[in-house]
Amino acid sequence: MEIMGLDVGSRAAKSALLVGRKWSWGVADIMAWRDLLSSGAEVVATGYFRKKVPHTLVVTEITAAIHGVRHFIRGDVDAIVDIGAQDTKVIDLATGEFMMNDKCSAGTGAFLEFLAGYFGLGMEELQEYHFRAGRTAEINNTCAVFAQSEVVSRLVEGYTREEVIKGIHHAFARRIGQLIPQDADRVAFIGGVVKNRGVIDAFEKELGIRALVPREPQVVNAVGALEYYMARRGGPP
Amino acid sequence: MIGITALVPPEVLYASGKRPLDLNNLVPESKINPREKLCAWTAIWRELVIHGGLDLEGLVVVAGGDCHNAIVDGEKVELSGLPTCYFLYPFDGSPQLLEAQLEDLVEFLGGIKERSRFEIVRALKKRALALDKRRVRGEVAASDGFLLQVSTSDMLGSLEAYEERLGRMEASDETVEFKHRIALLGVPPIYPDLHAFLQSLGLHVVYDEMPYEFIRLTGSSLSGISRSYAGYTFAGKIQRRLGFIEKELKRRRVDAVIHFQQFACHHRLEDPIMRERLNRGLGYPYLGIEGDMPSKLPEQVKLRLEAFAERLGD
Ligand code: SF4
Repeated sequence: MEIMGLDVGSRAAKSALLVGRKWSWGVADIMAWRDLLSSGAEVVATGYFRKKVPHTLVVTEITAAIHGVRHFIRGDVDAIVDIGAQDTKVIDLATGEFMMNDKCSAGTGAFLEFLAGYFGLGMEELQEYHFRAGRTAEINNTCAVFAQSEVVSRLVEGYTREEVIKGIHHAFARRIGQLIPQDADRVAFIGGVVKNRGVIDAFEKELGIRALVPREPQVVNAVGALEYYMARRGGPP
Repeated sequence: MIGITALVPPEVLYASGKRPLDLNNLVPESKINPREKLCAWTAIWRELVIHGGLDLEGLVVVAGGDCHNAIVDGEKVELSGLPTCYFLYPFDGSPQLLEAQLEDLVEFLGGIKERSRFEIVRALKKRALALDKRRVRGEVAASDGFLLQVSTSDMLGSLEAYEERLGRMEASDETVEFKHRIALLGVPPIYPDLHAFLQSLGLHVVYDEMPYEFIRLTGSSLSGISRSYAGYTFAGKIQRRLGFIEKELKRRRVDAVIHFQQFACHHRLEDPIMRERLNRGLGYPYLGIEGDMPSKLPEQVKLRLEAFAERLGD
Protein backbone atom coordinates (compact mmCIF):
# COMPACT_ATOMS: atom_id res chain seq x y z
CA MET A 1 0.00 0.00 0.00
CA GLU A 2 1.24 3.46 -0.87
CA ILE A 3 0.78 6.47 1.36
CA MET A 4 0.93 10.06 0.31
CA GLY A 5 1.34 13.15 2.46
CA LEU A 6 -0.81 15.91 0.97
CA ASP A 7 -0.57 19.50 2.15
CA VAL A 8 -3.46 21.53 0.80
CA GLY A 9 -2.73 25.12 1.74
CA SER A 10 -4.47 28.35 0.89
CA ARG A 11 -2.51 28.86 -2.35
CA ALA A 12 -0.74 25.70 -3.37
CA ALA A 13 -1.01 21.97 -2.84
CA LYS A 14 2.07 19.92 -2.13
CA SER A 15 2.52 16.18 -2.03
CA ALA A 16 5.09 13.70 -0.81
CA LEU A 17 5.11 10.06 -1.78
CA LEU A 18 7.26 7.28 -0.41
CA VAL A 19 7.67 4.19 -2.55
CA GLY A 20 10.04 1.68 -1.07
CA ARG A 21 12.76 3.96 0.19
CA LYS A 22 12.38 6.53 -2.51
CA TRP A 23 10.73 9.86 -1.83
CA SER A 24 9.18 12.00 -4.51
CA TRP A 25 7.24 15.20 -4.30
CA GLY A 26 5.05 17.51 -6.25
CA VAL A 27 3.65 21.03 -6.12
CA ALA A 28 0.50 22.24 -7.85
CA ASP A 29 -1.82 25.17 -7.84
CA ILE A 30 -4.51 24.82 -5.18
CA MET A 31 -7.21 24.29 -7.78
CA ALA A 32 -5.25 21.43 -9.29
CA TRP A 33 -4.60 19.44 -6.11
CA ARG A 34 -6.16 16.36 -7.69
CA ASP A 35 -3.30 16.18 -10.19
CA LEU A 36 -0.97 15.30 -7.34
CA LEU A 37 -2.86 12.20 -6.28
CA SER A 38 -1.34 8.88 -7.09
CA SER A 39 -3.86 6.20 -7.84
CA GLY A 40 -4.08 3.63 -5.11
CA ALA A 41 -2.25 5.74 -2.54
CA GLU A 42 -3.96 6.56 0.72
CA VAL A 43 -3.74 10.17 1.80
CA VAL A 44 -2.58 11.77 5.03
CA ALA A 45 -3.85 15.30 4.67
CA THR A 46 -2.62 18.51 6.25
CA GLY A 47 -3.01 22.24 5.58
CA TYR A 48 -6.06 24.53 5.55
CA PHE A 49 -8.17 22.24 3.44
CA ARG A 50 -7.04 19.00 5.07
CA LYS A 51 -10.55 17.98 5.97
CA LYS A 52 -11.94 18.85 2.55
CA VAL A 53 -9.93 16.30 0.60
CA PRO A 54 -10.39 12.51 0.80
CA HIS A 55 -8.05 11.20 3.49
CA THR A 56 -7.15 8.29 5.71
CA LEU A 57 -5.83 10.55 8.44
CA VAL A 58 -5.58 14.29 9.02
CA VAL A 59 -2.93 16.16 10.92
CA THR A 60 -2.56 19.88 11.53
CA GLU A 61 0.18 21.66 9.66
CA ILE A 62 1.78 22.48 13.00
CA THR A 63 2.37 18.86 13.95
CA ALA A 64 3.25 18.07 10.33
CA ALA A 65 5.89 20.82 10.36
CA ILE A 66 7.56 19.33 13.44
CA HIS A 67 7.79 15.90 11.83
CA GLY A 68 8.81 17.35 8.47
CA VAL A 69 11.63 19.43 9.87
CA ARG A 70 12.97 16.39 11.71
CA HIS A 71 13.04 14.58 8.38
CA PHE A 72 15.11 17.23 6.62
CA ILE A 73 17.32 18.68 9.32
CA ARG A 74 19.71 16.72 11.45
CA GLY A 75 20.63 18.02 14.88
CA ASP A 76 18.84 20.32 17.26
CA VAL A 77 16.31 22.85 16.12
CA ASP A 78 15.02 25.40 18.63
CA ALA A 79 12.14 26.78 16.61
CA ILE A 80 10.35 26.42 13.31
CA VAL A 81 9.08 29.37 11.30
CA ASP A 82 6.53 28.41 8.67
CA ILE A 83 5.81 31.35 6.41
CA GLY A 84 2.67 30.80 4.43
CA ALA A 85 0.71 32.89 2.00
CA GLN A 86 -1.95 33.75 4.59
CA ASP A 87 -0.32 33.28 7.96
CA THR A 88 2.97 32.63 9.66
CA LYS A 89 3.40 30.10 12.41
CA VAL A 90 6.24 29.92 14.85
CA ILE A 91 6.70 26.73 16.82
CA ASP A 92 8.88 26.81 19.92
CA LEU A 93 10.29 23.31 20.11
CA ALA A 94 11.51 23.76 23.68
CA THR A 95 8.02 24.28 25.07
CA GLY A 96 5.86 22.96 22.24
CA GLU A 97 4.01 26.30 22.14
CA PHE A 98 3.23 27.91 18.85
CA MET A 99 2.42 31.45 17.91
CA MET A 100 0.52 32.44 14.86
CA ASN A 101 0.36 35.65 13.00
CA ASP A 102 -2.97 35.45 11.26
CA LYS A 103 -4.73 38.73 11.94
CA CYS A 104 -3.17 40.81 9.18
CA SER A 105 -0.99 40.27 6.19
CA ALA A 106 2.12 41.77 7.81
CA GLY A 107 4.60 38.98 8.34
CA THR A 108 3.00 36.65 5.79
CA GLY A 109 3.76 35.85 2.20
CA ALA A 110 0.94 38.19 1.19
CA PHE A 111 2.94 41.17 2.47
CA LEU A 112 5.91 40.43 0.22
CA GLU A 113 3.65 39.66 -2.67
CA PHE A 114 1.87 42.97 -2.30
CA LEU A 115 5.14 44.88 -2.35
CA ALA A 116 6.62 42.78 -5.16
CA GLY A 117 3.47 43.66 -7.08
CA TYR A 118 4.11 47.34 -6.40
CA PHE A 119 7.48 47.04 -8.17
CA GLY A 120 5.98 44.89 -10.90
CA LEU A 121 8.21 41.98 -9.86
CA GLY A 122 7.54 38.30 -9.35
CA MET A 123 8.27 36.84 -5.90
CA GLU A 124 11.19 34.87 -7.29
CA GLU A 125 12.91 38.07 -8.44
CA LEU A 126 13.07 39.69 -4.97
CA GLN A 127 16.15 37.72 -3.97
CA GLU A 128 18.30 39.07 -6.81
CA TYR A 129 17.39 42.64 -5.96
CA HIS A 130 18.14 42.04 -2.29
CA PHE A 131 21.69 40.88 -2.89
CA ARG A 132 22.42 43.69 -5.34
CA ALA A 133 21.57 46.37 -2.78
CA GLY A 134 24.35 48.54 -1.37
CA ARG A 135 22.49 49.96 1.60
CA THR A 136 19.35 48.91 3.42
CA ALA A 137 16.52 51.42 3.26
CA GLU A 138 14.77 51.76 6.57
CA ILE A 139 11.19 50.53 6.49
CA ASN A 140 9.52 50.58 9.89
CA ASN A 141 5.92 49.76 9.15
CA THR A 142 4.88 46.22 8.55
CA CYS A 143 1.30 47.06 7.78
CA ALA A 144 1.18 46.63 4.01
CA VAL A 145 -0.66 49.90 3.50
CA PHE A 146 1.66 52.02 5.63
CA ALA A 147 4.72 50.21 4.32
CA GLN A 148 3.77 51.13 0.79
CA SER A 149 3.74 54.82 1.61
CA GLU A 150 7.07 54.41 3.36
CA VAL A 151 8.44 52.70 0.26
CA VAL A 152 7.40 55.71 -1.80
CA SER A 153 9.12 58.07 0.68
CA ARG A 154 12.36 56.08 0.56
CA LEU A 155 12.34 56.10 -3.26
CA VAL A 156 11.77 59.85 -3.22
CA GLU A 157 14.73 60.20 -0.86
CA GLY A 158 16.90 58.50 -3.47
CA TYR A 159 17.15 54.89 -2.35
CA THR A 160 17.25 52.39 -5.19
CA ARG A 161 14.66 49.70 -5.75
CA GLU A 162 17.21 47.14 -4.59
CA GLU A 163 17.80 48.98 -1.32
CA VAL A 164 14.12 49.40 -0.67
CA ILE A 165 13.42 45.72 -1.32
CA LYS A 166 16.21 44.78 1.07
CA GLY A 167 14.62 47.14 3.61
CA ILE A 168 11.30 45.39 3.14
CA HIS A 169 12.93 42.03 3.83
CA HIS A 170 14.43 43.40 7.03
CA ALA A 171 11.10 44.85 8.18
CA PHE A 172 9.52 41.49 7.44
CA ALA A 173 12.15 39.65 9.46
CA ARG A 174 11.79 42.03 12.41
CA ARG A 175 8.04 41.57 12.41
CA ILE A 176 8.20 37.78 12.46
CA GLY A 177 11.16 37.97 14.83
CA GLN A 178 8.79 39.22 17.53
CA LEU A 179 7.21 35.78 17.55
CA ILE A 180 10.47 33.82 17.67
CA PRO A 181 11.58 32.80 21.18
CA GLN A 182 14.40 35.05 22.33
CA ASP A 183 16.74 32.26 23.32
CA ALA A 184 16.32 30.39 20.02
CA ASP A 185 19.57 29.93 18.13
CA ARG A 186 18.97 27.30 15.45
CA VAL A 187 15.78 28.18 13.64
CA ALA A 188 14.30 26.22 10.72
CA PHE A 189 12.47 28.16 8.04
CA ILE A 190 9.89 26.46 5.87
CA GLY A 191 7.24 27.39 3.33
CA GLY A 192 7.53 28.60 -0.25
CA VAL A 193 8.50 32.15 0.76
CA VAL A 194 11.84 31.07 2.25
CA LYS A 195 13.15 30.05 -1.16
CA ASN A 196 13.85 33.77 -1.30
CA ARG A 197 17.36 33.82 0.21
CA GLY A 198 17.07 37.56 0.73
CA VAL A 199 14.50 36.92 3.43
CA ILE A 200 16.78 34.37 5.11
CA ASP A 201 19.71 36.79 4.96
CA ALA A 202 17.55 39.43 6.66
CA PHE A 203 16.52 37.00 9.42
CA GLU A 204 20.12 36.10 10.19
CA LYS A 205 21.25 39.72 10.29
CA GLU A 206 18.28 41.04 12.25
CA LEU A 207 18.02 38.28 14.83
CA GLY A 208 21.54 36.89 15.07
CA ILE A 209 20.29 33.33 14.62
CA ARG A 210 21.37 30.39 12.50
CA ALA A 211 18.74 29.96 9.81
CA LEU A 212 18.31 26.39 8.64
CA VAL A 213 16.49 25.96 5.36
CA PRO A 214 15.56 22.44 4.27
CA ARG A 215 16.32 21.38 0.73
CA GLU A 216 12.66 21.53 -0.29
CA PRO A 217 11.13 24.12 2.04
CA GLN A 218 7.76 24.00 0.33
CA VAL A 219 7.05 20.30 0.79
CA VAL A 220 8.15 19.97 4.41
CA ASN A 221 4.61 19.72 5.74
CA ALA A 222 3.59 17.13 3.14
CA VAL A 223 6.61 15.03 4.10
CA GLY A 224 5.82 15.69 7.76
CA ALA A 225 2.26 14.43 7.36
CA LEU A 226 3.62 11.18 6.01
CA GLU A 227 6.22 10.95 8.77
CA TYR A 228 3.49 11.57 11.34
CA TYR A 229 1.54 8.66 9.91
CA MET A 230 4.56 6.40 10.13
CA ALA A 231 5.35 7.48 13.67
CA ARG A 232 1.82 6.58 14.72
CA ARG A 233 1.80 3.26 12.90
CA GLY A 234 5.33 2.44 14.04
CA GLY A 235 7.06 2.29 10.64
CA PRO A 236 6.66 2.63 6.89
CA PRO A 237 3.37 1.46 5.40
CA MET B 1 -33.87 43.88 37.23
CA ILE B 2 -30.39 45.08 38.11
CA GLY B 3 -27.69 44.66 35.51
CA ILE B 4 -24.25 43.49 36.65
CA THR B 5 -21.09 43.60 34.57
CA ALA B 6 -18.89 41.10 36.39
CA LEU B 7 -18.97 39.20 39.66
CA VAL B 8 -21.19 41.02 42.18
CA PRO B 9 -22.31 38.78 45.06
CA PRO B 10 -25.74 37.44 44.01
CA GLU B 11 -26.32 36.78 47.73
CA VAL B 12 -26.55 40.55 48.28
CA LEU B 13 -28.65 41.26 45.21
CA TYR B 14 -31.23 38.62 46.05
CA ALA B 15 -31.30 39.55 49.75
CA SER B 16 -32.04 43.12 48.66
CA GLY B 17 -35.07 41.82 46.83
CA LYS B 18 -33.57 42.40 43.38
CA ARG B 19 -33.26 40.17 40.33
CA PRO B 20 -29.75 40.38 38.90
CA LEU B 21 -28.99 40.10 35.19
CA ASP B 22 -25.37 39.35 34.31
CA LEU B 23 -25.03 41.24 31.05
CA ASN B 24 -22.05 39.14 30.04
CA ASN B 25 -24.26 36.14 29.59
CA LEU B 26 -25.92 37.96 26.68
CA VAL B 27 -22.64 38.84 24.96
CA PRO B 28 -21.42 35.59 23.29
CA GLU B 29 -24.63 35.21 21.29
CA SER B 30 -25.02 38.93 20.56
CA LYS B 31 -24.81 40.33 17.02
CA ILE B 32 -24.05 43.89 18.11
CA ASN B 33 -21.03 45.46 16.45
CA PRO B 34 -20.10 48.35 18.75
CA ARG B 35 -18.63 51.51 17.32
CA GLU B 36 -16.19 52.36 20.06
CA LYS B 37 -14.53 49.51 21.77
CA LEU B 38 -11.56 48.15 23.56
CA CYS B 39 -12.83 44.92 25.08
CA ALA B 40 -15.85 43.48 23.25
CA TRP B 41 -17.49 42.39 26.51
CA THR B 42 -17.78 45.86 28.00
CA ALA B 43 -18.58 47.57 24.69
CA ILE B 44 -21.37 45.12 23.92
CA TRP B 45 -23.02 45.24 27.33
CA ARG B 46 -22.82 49.02 27.14
CA GLU B 47 -24.71 48.98 23.83
CA LEU B 48 -27.15 46.40 25.15
CA VAL B 49 -27.96 48.58 28.13
CA ILE B 50 -28.18 51.88 26.26
CA HIS B 51 -29.96 50.63 23.13
CA GLY B 52 -30.99 47.06 23.77
CA GLY B 53 -34.39 47.66 25.33
CA LEU B 54 -33.52 45.70 28.49
CA ASP B 55 -35.82 46.37 31.37
CA LEU B 56 -33.25 47.52 33.94
CA GLU B 57 -33.78 49.69 36.99
CA GLY B 58 -30.08 50.09 37.66
CA LEU B 59 -26.57 48.89 36.84
CA VAL B 60 -23.76 47.71 39.06
CA VAL B 61 -20.42 48.13 37.30
CA VAL B 62 -17.44 46.25 38.61
CA ALA B 63 -14.98 49.05 38.13
CA GLY B 64 -11.91 47.80 39.91
CA GLY B 65 -10.19 44.60 40.79
CA ASP B 66 -11.05 42.06 38.16
CA CYS B 67 -11.96 44.33 35.23
CA HIS B 68 -10.18 47.58 34.43
CA ASN B 69 -11.99 48.41 31.23
CA ALA B 70 -15.51 48.84 32.48
CA ILE B 71 -15.37 52.28 34.06
CA VAL B 72 -15.87 54.44 30.99
CA ASP B 73 -18.51 52.16 29.53
CA GLY B 74 -20.24 52.30 32.90
CA GLU B 75 -20.10 56.07 32.85
CA LYS B 76 -21.62 56.14 29.39
CA VAL B 77 -24.48 54.08 30.72
CA GLU B 78 -24.82 56.47 33.64
CA LEU B 79 -24.86 59.45 31.26
CA SER B 80 -27.67 57.77 29.36
CA GLY B 81 -29.71 58.15 32.54
CA LEU B 82 -29.63 54.75 34.23
CA PRO B 83 -28.80 54.77 37.97
CA THR B 84 -25.33 53.27 38.15
CA CYS B 85 -23.25 52.06 41.06
CA TYR B 86 -19.51 51.38 40.91
CA PHE B 87 -18.25 48.37 42.79
CA LEU B 88 -14.55 47.87 43.43
CA TYR B 89 -12.70 44.84 44.70
CA PRO B 90 -9.73 45.81 46.84
CA PHE B 91 -6.48 44.75 45.22
CA ASP B 92 -4.95 43.83 48.57
CA GLY B 93 -7.83 41.46 49.35
CA SER B 94 -8.88 43.35 52.48
CA PRO B 95 -12.24 42.10 53.82
CA GLN B 96 -12.81 45.42 55.65
CA LEU B 97 -12.55 47.45 52.45
CA LEU B 98 -14.77 44.98 50.65
CA GLU B 99 -17.37 45.17 53.40
CA ALA B 100 -17.46 48.96 52.99
CA GLN B 101 -18.06 48.46 49.26
CA LEU B 102 -20.84 45.99 49.98
CA GLU B 103 -22.49 48.45 52.37
CA ASP B 104 -22.54 51.09 49.63
CA LEU B 105 -23.97 48.52 47.26
CA VAL B 106 -26.71 47.60 49.71
CA GLU B 107 -27.58 51.26 50.05
CA PHE B 108 -27.78 51.61 46.25
CA LEU B 109 -30.08 48.59 46.15
CA GLY B 110 -32.36 50.04 48.82
CA GLY B 111 -31.34 47.94 51.82
CA ILE B 112 -31.46 44.27 52.79
CA LYS B 113 -35.04 43.00 52.68
CA GLU B 114 -34.82 39.23 52.93
CA ARG B 115 -31.86 38.13 54.95
CA SER B 116 -32.82 34.46 54.56
CA ARG B 117 -31.80 34.62 50.91
CA PHE B 118 -28.12 34.72 51.91
CA GLU B 119 -28.50 31.20 53.13
CA ILE B 120 -30.62 30.06 50.18
CA VAL B 121 -28.04 31.23 47.65
CA ARG B 122 -25.28 29.65 49.65
CA ALA B 123 -27.08 26.30 49.69
CA LEU B 124 -27.59 26.43 45.92
CA LYS B 125 -23.92 27.13 45.39
CA LYS B 126 -23.09 24.12 47.51
CA ARG B 127 -25.05 21.97 45.10
CA ALA B 128 -23.23 23.56 42.16
CA LEU B 129 -19.95 22.65 43.87
CA ALA B 130 -21.06 19.04 44.12
CA LEU B 131 -21.79 19.05 40.38
CA ASP B 132 -18.35 20.52 39.77
CA LYS B 133 -16.85 17.49 41.55
CA ARG B 134 -18.90 15.16 39.37
CA ARG B 135 -17.67 16.96 36.29
CA VAL B 136 -14.08 16.35 37.36
CA ARG B 137 -14.97 12.66 37.61
CA GLY B 138 -16.32 12.76 34.05
CA GLU B 139 -19.99 12.56 34.97
CA VAL B 140 -21.00 16.00 33.68
CA ALA B 141 -20.18 17.36 30.21
CA ALA B 142 -17.83 20.35 30.33
CA SER B 143 -20.16 22.54 28.28
CA ASP B 144 -23.03 21.94 30.72
CA GLY B 145 -20.82 22.41 33.75
CA PHE B 146 -19.42 25.62 32.33
CA LEU B 147 -22.86 27.04 31.53
CA LEU B 148 -24.10 26.27 35.01
CA GLN B 149 -21.11 27.99 36.57
CA VAL B 150 -21.30 31.16 34.49
CA SER B 151 -25.01 31.39 35.10
CA THR B 152 -24.35 31.31 38.83
CA SER B 153 -23.28 34.96 38.61
CA ASP B 154 -26.96 35.98 38.36
CA MET B 155 -28.58 32.61 39.03
CA LEU B 156 -30.61 33.11 35.88
CA GLY B 157 -32.40 36.02 37.52
CA SER B 158 -34.56 33.57 39.43
CA LEU B 159 -33.54 31.27 42.26
CA GLU B 160 -36.32 28.89 41.29
CA ALA B 161 -35.17 28.63 37.68
CA TYR B 162 -31.60 28.11 38.86
CA GLU B 163 -32.65 25.42 41.27
CA GLU B 164 -34.57 23.70 38.55
CA ARG B 165 -31.53 23.65 36.32
CA LEU B 166 -29.46 22.22 39.17
CA GLY B 167 -32.07 19.55 39.71
CA ARG B 168 -32.02 18.56 36.06
CA MET B 169 -28.27 18.27 36.03
CA GLU B 170 -28.20 16.32 39.27
CA ALA B 171 -30.66 13.83 37.87
CA SER B 172 -28.85 13.11 34.63
CA ASP B 173 -26.19 10.45 34.60
CA GLU B 174 -23.68 10.78 31.88
CA THR B 175 -20.26 9.37 31.17
CA VAL B 176 -17.90 11.68 29.38
CA GLU B 177 -15.29 9.95 27.22
CA PHE B 178 -12.03 11.84 27.09
CA LYS B 179 -8.28 11.54 26.70
CA HIS B 180 -7.02 14.50 28.69
CA ARG B 181 -8.12 16.80 31.48
CA ILE B 182 -7.88 20.46 30.68
CA ALA B 183 -7.91 23.62 32.76
CA LEU B 184 -9.31 26.68 31.02
CA LEU B 185 -7.70 29.70 32.61
CA GLY B 186 -8.44 33.39 32.20
CA VAL B 187 -11.67 35.26 31.65
CA PRO B 188 -14.51 33.14 30.24
CA PRO B 189 -14.17 32.51 26.51
CA ILE B 190 -16.13 34.71 24.13
CA TYR B 191 -16.61 31.67 21.86
CA PRO B 192 -19.79 29.86 22.87
CA ASP B 193 -18.74 26.55 21.29
CA LEU B 194 -15.27 26.23 22.83
CA HIS B 195 -16.08 23.55 25.41
CA ALA B 196 -18.00 21.42 22.94
CA PHE B 197 -15.19 21.66 20.39
CA LEU B 198 -12.60 20.65 22.97
CA GLN B 199 -14.80 17.74 23.89
CA SER B 200 -14.84 16.61 20.25
CA LEU B 201 -11.04 16.47 20.43
CA GLY B 202 -11.15 14.32 23.54
CA LEU B 203 -10.21 17.21 25.82
CA HIS B 204 -12.42 17.45 28.89
CA VAL B 205 -12.37 20.82 30.63
CA VAL B 206 -12.34 19.99 34.33
CA TYR B 207 -11.56 23.49 35.56
CA ASP B 208 -13.00 26.78 34.34
CA GLU B 209 -10.97 29.21 36.34
CA MET B 210 -13.17 32.27 36.65
CA PRO B 211 -16.58 30.56 36.58
CA TYR B 212 -15.42 28.36 39.44
CA GLU B 213 -15.02 31.51 41.53
CA PHE B 214 -18.72 32.19 40.96
CA ILE B 215 -19.74 29.01 42.73
CA ARG B 216 -16.96 28.94 45.29
CA LEU B 217 -17.37 32.35 46.93
CA THR B 218 -20.33 32.85 49.23
CA GLY B 219 -21.38 33.67 52.79
CA SER B 220 -24.45 33.97 54.95
CA SER B 221 -23.92 37.50 56.28
CA LEU B 222 -22.41 40.68 54.91
CA SER B 223 -19.21 40.17 56.82
CA GLY B 224 -19.06 36.50 55.88
CA ILE B 225 -19.54 37.43 52.23
CA SER B 226 -16.82 40.07 52.54
CA ARG B 227 -14.37 37.55 53.95
CA SER B 228 -15.12 35.05 51.22
CA TYR B 229 -15.18 37.42 48.24
CA ALA B 230 -12.02 39.14 49.47
CA GLY B 231 -10.36 35.96 48.26
CA TYR B 232 -11.69 36.39 44.71
CA THR B 233 -8.54 35.44 42.88
CA PHE B 234 -9.11 37.55 39.77
CA ALA B 235 -9.22 40.76 41.75
CA GLY B 236 -5.94 40.36 43.57
CA LYS B 237 -2.28 39.84 42.90
CA ILE B 238 -1.28 37.39 40.21
CA GLN B 239 0.93 35.41 42.58
CA ARG B 240 -1.96 34.76 44.92
CA ARG B 241 -4.07 33.71 41.95
CA LEU B 242 -1.35 31.41 40.62
CA GLY B 243 -0.97 29.76 44.00
CA PHE B 244 -4.67 29.01 43.94
CA ILE B 245 -4.57 27.75 40.35
CA GLU B 246 -1.69 25.47 41.18
CA LYS B 247 -3.67 23.76 43.91
CA GLU B 248 -6.67 23.33 41.65
CA LEU B 249 -4.56 21.82 38.88
CA LYS B 250 -3.25 19.20 41.28
CA ARG B 251 -6.59 18.55 42.91
CA ARG B 252 -8.26 18.02 39.55
CA ARG B 253 -5.36 16.06 38.08
CA VAL B 254 -5.17 18.41 35.13
CA ASP B 255 -2.99 17.32 32.18
CA ALA B 256 -2.70 20.60 30.30
CA VAL B 257 -3.81 24.22 30.47
CA ILE B 258 -5.33 26.60 27.97
CA HIS B 259 -5.25 30.32 28.71
CA PHE B 260 -8.01 32.26 27.02
CA GLN B 261 -7.16 35.92 26.48
CA GLN B 262 -9.53 38.65 25.48
CA PHE B 263 -8.36 41.37 23.11
CA ALA B 264 -7.70 44.65 24.99
CA CYS B 265 -8.08 43.06 28.41
CA HIS B 266 -5.34 43.76 30.94
CA HIS B 267 -5.42 40.10 32.01
CA ARG B 268 -3.67 39.32 28.72
CA LEU B 269 -0.55 40.91 30.11
CA GLU B 270 -0.48 38.23 32.78
CA ASP B 271 0.09 35.52 30.21
CA PRO B 272 3.91 35.49 30.34
CA ILE B 273 3.85 35.29 34.15
CA MET B 274 1.40 32.40 34.03
CA ARG B 275 3.30 30.63 31.29
CA GLU B 276 6.55 30.95 33.20
CA ARG B 277 5.16 29.37 36.34
CA LEU B 278 2.81 26.77 34.91
CA ASN B 279 4.67 25.74 31.78
CA ARG B 280 8.34 26.35 32.40
CA GLY B 281 8.11 25.91 36.14
CA LEU B 282 5.63 23.08 36.61
CA GLY B 283 5.79 21.52 33.17
CA TYR B 284 2.12 21.74 32.19
CA PRO B 285 1.63 21.81 28.41
CA TYR B 286 0.29 25.30 27.83
CA LEU B 287 -1.61 26.94 25.02
CA GLY B 288 -2.68 30.56 24.72
CA ILE B 289 -5.70 31.41 22.59
CA GLU B 290 -7.29 34.75 21.90
CA GLY B 291 -10.65 36.19 21.12
CA ASP B 292 -12.05 39.56 20.21
CA MET B 293 -15.63 39.75 18.95
CA PRO B 294 -18.13 37.05 19.85
CA SER B 295 -18.44 34.35 17.20
CA LYS B 296 -18.27 30.64 16.73
CA LEU B 297 -14.69 29.39 17.01
CA PRO B 298 -12.70 30.70 14.03
CA GLU B 299 -10.80 28.14 11.96
CA GLN B 300 -7.47 29.49 13.12
CA VAL B 301 -8.33 28.94 16.77
CA LYS B 302 -9.63 25.47 15.97
CA LEU B 303 -6.33 24.72 14.27
CA ARG B 304 -4.38 25.72 17.36
CA LEU B 305 -6.59 23.59 19.56
CA GLU B 306 -6.31 20.60 17.25
CA ALA B 307 -2.54 20.90 17.11
CA PHE B 308 -2.51 21.10 20.89
CA ALA B 309 -4.56 17.89 21.09
CA GLU B 310 -2.12 16.20 18.71
CA ARG B 311 0.72 17.31 20.90
CA LEU B 312 -0.90 15.79 23.96
CA GLY B 313 -1.21 12.50 22.05
CA ASP B 314 -3.58 9.60 22.57
S1 SF4 C 1 -12.31 40.52 29.33
FE1 SF4 C 1 -11.10 41.82 30.66
S2 SF4 C 1 -11.53 43.91 30.01
FE2 SF4 C 1 -13.11 42.59 29.15
S3 SF4 C 1 -14.76 42.65 30.62
FE3 SF4 C 1 -13.52 40.90 31.16
S4 SF4 C 1 -12.03 41.65 32.67
FE4 SF4 C 1 -12.96 43.42 31.66
